[in-house]
Amino acid sequence: MSTSLTFRMGQYEAEFPTDRQYAWNHMWAQRRGDAIRFGLTAYAVRLLQDVYFLDWTVAPGAALQLRQEIGSIESKKAESALFAPIAGVLVMVNEELLLDPSTINADKYGEGWLLEIRGASDGLLPPEQYLEHLAEVWPLAQRTIKGQLNE
Amino acid sequence: MMTRRFSVVLSCGQTLHPERQALEEQLADQLAQAGQCDVLVVPHLYDLNAAGPGVAALQDLGGDLAVLAWLSPRASHWILDRNGIRGRRGRTRLDEDEKLAADEGQSKAAKGTGRVAATRDLPDRTIYCLDLRRHRSPQPYLDAIRQVIPAVPAREAGGEVHAVRRIEEPVGRRWYPVVDYSRCTDCMECIDFCLFGVYGVDEAEHVLVELPDNCRKGCPACSRVCPENAIMFPQHKTPAIAGDLRETGGLKLDLSSLFGAAEGLLNDLDVAVRERDEHLLIAGQRPAGKADPVPKPRASETGSWGDDLDKLIDRLDAMDL
Repeated sequence: MSTSLTFRMGQYEAEFPTDRQYAWNHMWAQRRGDAIRFGLTAYAVRLLQDVYFLDWTVAPGAALQLRQEIGSIESKKAESALFAPIAGVLVMVNEELLLDPSTINADKYGEGWLLEIRGASDGLLPPEQYLEHLAEVWPLAQRTIKGQLNE
Repeated sequence: MMTRRFSVVLSCGQTLHPERQALEEQLADQLAQAGQCDVLVVPHLYDLNAAGPGVAALQDLGGDLAVLAWLSPRASHWILDRNGIRGRRGRTRLDEDEKLAADEGQSKAAKGTGRVAATRDLPDRTIYCLDLRRHRSPQPYLDAIRQVIPAVPAREAGGEVHAVRRIEEPVGRRWYPVVDYSRCTDCMECIDFCLFGVYGVDEAEHVLVELPDNCRKGCPACSRVCPENAIMFPQHKTPAIAGDLRETGGLKLDLSSLFGAAEGLLNDLDVAVRERDEHLLIAGQRPAGKADPVPKPRASETGSWGDDLDKLIDRLDAMDL
C-alpha cells in the first residue's frame, strides 16, 4: 500500500497519497500516458461532503487556460465552480460521474477521478508542498465558511 | 357542464439528491391518489428536445396546467412558451408566500412600453409554475395546486386514481438562453453581442433563440448585456441570471473562492466580454473584445482563528439544508 501524508481539519484527518502531485485548487494529479489525470483531494471532498451533482462547461478537445472556470459541483451542503488546475487541452472527463457523482466520495483517489488534461505539469506541487499550501489556506477556508453561515 | 381540464406536469431534476427524488415520487403518487387531474412526468424541462416525446406530450395537454420543476417559475414558464406551450402565467399561493412582488411590479411597469409579450395573443388557459427548490415536503405544493384546480363534480371524482404517465426520453444536459418576452423589447443587443449565431428574429421580427444548441456551454454573456434582464440561463449559479428575481439568499455554501475563483470587481459588460472571448477561444476563433487582466486572487488572511470544521459542519447539519 502506498504511503500518504495527513492534514488535520478539526477532528478529521485528511489523507494525501504520496504517489501523485497536487494542484493549488485541491485536485490531485497523476500522469496517464501523455495526459494528466485529476481528481479532488481529501481536503476538497471533506469540505463538500456528499456530492450530488457534477457538470462540466467544457467538452473534450477544449483548450483550457489556467484557472479557467470549467464546471460546477454540488453537494449536500455546498456548491462550487470548478477551475482548470493547469493550462492544456481537455482530453476526457469521467463520464460515469455525470450519472453517479457519489463515486467521488467513495473512491476519490481512484474511480472518482474527474478529468484528464494534456499539458505541462509545471505548476503542480509535490505532496509536502501541497500540505504547506493547505496550512496557509485552511484558516481562510474556515473563515469563509463561518462568514457564509453568519449571513 | 364540462369541467375544465387540468393537468399537472412533474419535471424531474438532474441530480441524484435522494431527498429531491423522494419529493418527486411523493408528489406523483399523491397527485394520482387525489384523482383530480392527469399527471405527466417528464425529464428536466430545460433538457427536453424540441422534437422529442416530452415536448410532444406537453403540447398535447389541453386546459390549465400546473408545472412542478426544479427551476424558477419564470424560467419554467418561458421554456414552455418557447416550446409552444403557451398561456397566461398563473399565480399560486406559493408565489404570494414568496413575495414575487418585485417581479410583478417590474412587469406591470413594463406593460405598454414595447414589450414583445404585449404584441402576442395567448390561448385561453392558465399555466401555474411551481419551484420545487422552495419546499422539501409535498404538502405546500399539493395545497397550492388544490387552490387553483377547478372543482371536480362528485361522480367524476369518486375516489378514482389517475394513472401517472411517464415520458422516458433520453436527454443530455443542454445550455441555451431562455427569453422572457414580458421583458424583452426587441432591442437586439443580444443579437449584436452573441457571435455564435444563437439569436435570430422570427417572421414578426421579434428576437428568437434560433439555434439554441449553438450556444457555448457555460457562457451567459448575452444575459449580462441584456438591458431588461430578459435573458435567463436557468442552470447558471447566479440567481439573477438563472431567472430568480427574488434573492435566494445562500441556500448552500459557495466554496468557489476556496476552489480557485478569481475575485474581482468587474462590471457586467467587462465580464460578458471576457466570457465571450473565452468561449471564442475555446471554439478556435479569435477573441473579439478587449482582454481583461485576470484579477489577482485575494491574499489569504492569516490570524489565530480557532473554530474547527467539525463544529462548523455540525452547525450546517443543524441548519437542515
